[in-house]
Amino acid sequence: MNLLSSLRRRSFEAACTVEIERSAESLHAHVVIDGDCELQPGDEVLVHNPPTAAQFGERIFVRRKATITRAGLPERLWTRLAGNFELTELYDVSFTERRRL
Amino acid sequence: MIASVRDDKVFDATRAAQENTILSPRFYTTDFNELDKTDVSAVRAQWDALIAELRSDPNKKHFVRTAEFDADFSNLPPDLDKEFRDFLISSITAEFSGCVLYAEMKKRAKNRDIAELFTFMSRDEARHAGFINDTLKDLGIGVDLGFLTKVKKYTFFRPKFIFYATYLSEKIGYARYITIYRQLERHPERRFHPIFKWFEKWCNDEFRHGEAFALLMRSNPRLLSGANIYWIKFFVLAVFATMYVRDHCRPAFHKAIGIDPTDYDFTVFRLTSEISRQTFPLTLDIDNPRFKRGLDRLYEIAKLNEDARAVGGLRGKLRRASLTVAAALAFARLYKLPSKANSLPADIRLAPVW
Repeated sequence: MNLLSSLRRRSFEAACTVEIERSAESLHAHVVIDGDCELQPGDEVLVHNPPTAAQFGERIFVRRKATITRAGLPERLWTRLAGNFELTELYDVSFTERRRL
Repeated sequence: MIASVRDDKVFDATRAAQENTILSPRFYTTDFNELDKTDVSAVRAQWDALIAELRSDPNKKHFVRTAEFDADFSNLPPDLDKEFRDFLISSITAEFSGCVLYAEMKKRAKNRDIAELFTFMSRDEARHAGFINDTLKDLGIGVDLGFLTKVKKYTFFRPKFIFYATYLSEKIGYARYITIYRQLERHPERRFHPIFKWFEKWCNDEFRHGEAFALLMRSNPRLLSGANIYWIKFFVLAVFATMYVRDHCRPAFHKAIGIDPTDYDFTVFRLTSEISRQTFPLTLDIDNPRFKRGLDRLYEIAKLNEDARAVGGLRGKLRRASLTVAAALAFARLYKLPSKANSLPADIRLAPVW
């Protein structure tokens, strides 16, 4: 049964903290899930009702719920493998996807 | 600066209304057990000195705007205005995605050295992104964080690929910024926006980040030997080629600062190659005429690809498929060019003296 269940995707909820700062000092947006929730290749996280409208100069800390969907084993293996073919995503020297503006 | 963000922009330079650039970062995971095994004990003294430097935060007070930024920049020629906006948007994209990637690494790493490094790097990238956000705001461009409402899917990269790509991105980022800075130092009349004055100290952050990865890789020599040499060559070539193709789509920007894009890129290649000799056992033979010819071919293919995209439909799709094959072949030919072997120096650390 263990093997069978590892093949399926499964979801669970966890609390998380969303931290956003939009200011001249820093622009960042991080989601930290409570507990020791190690995300694996292919896993998905959806934060419920996150703030997005931080005004300039604002810093936001909010508690939210997140749905974490664990990838099934095939998807996990596939995501690991696919990483080898998407290497160009890892660097950016400049800048735009398009060749002509 | 890392490429985990794609920018989709609602973009019309002639329109005075608010534009938005939408950040859509990708989220990465890696093999954290392997990452945690990274051991810097062979370079401990140099490592600790570098981390102390990062902790002391030399650029903490650097990114503060001055009254110069309040000037009116709405009179830039339209093509330059468009390319300058694109330059800023793509820079914020790269800085923000670096911040996201490094924050993910720092969250999960149990190895204290690694966690510390990524903490400081994430701080710097977020700060750079904030500074650019400020300038974008002056130009009426909003930065949209709507990605927070979407499903975040975690992509996987092996730690060594993150090391190679990050090292190169940071060092080439330094080389790009300092080359622009020096050019405008010689020609202040060409400095059409004050943000370029910040580049000198700004790129010292990139340089420091790169130093950390140089130490980290040198401390784990198997990352720099055996089959990994082929990966290193791949990354160097991929980064150089991408930069060459993309820079050539910003003619007005390069004209305004007074550097031909080809000269600019070869200056950056030369500098990056010189720096990377601290770490990588090879450098590309950028003086081989076939190297430049190969890059020009890739640029030609990229332009044709854009035309095919404009055609659309099945015809456009087929054309693009054949161009993708042509690009892969051109890249393979570049890859086959002999590289130059480099024996690694005993003293790893470099100072940003260019």
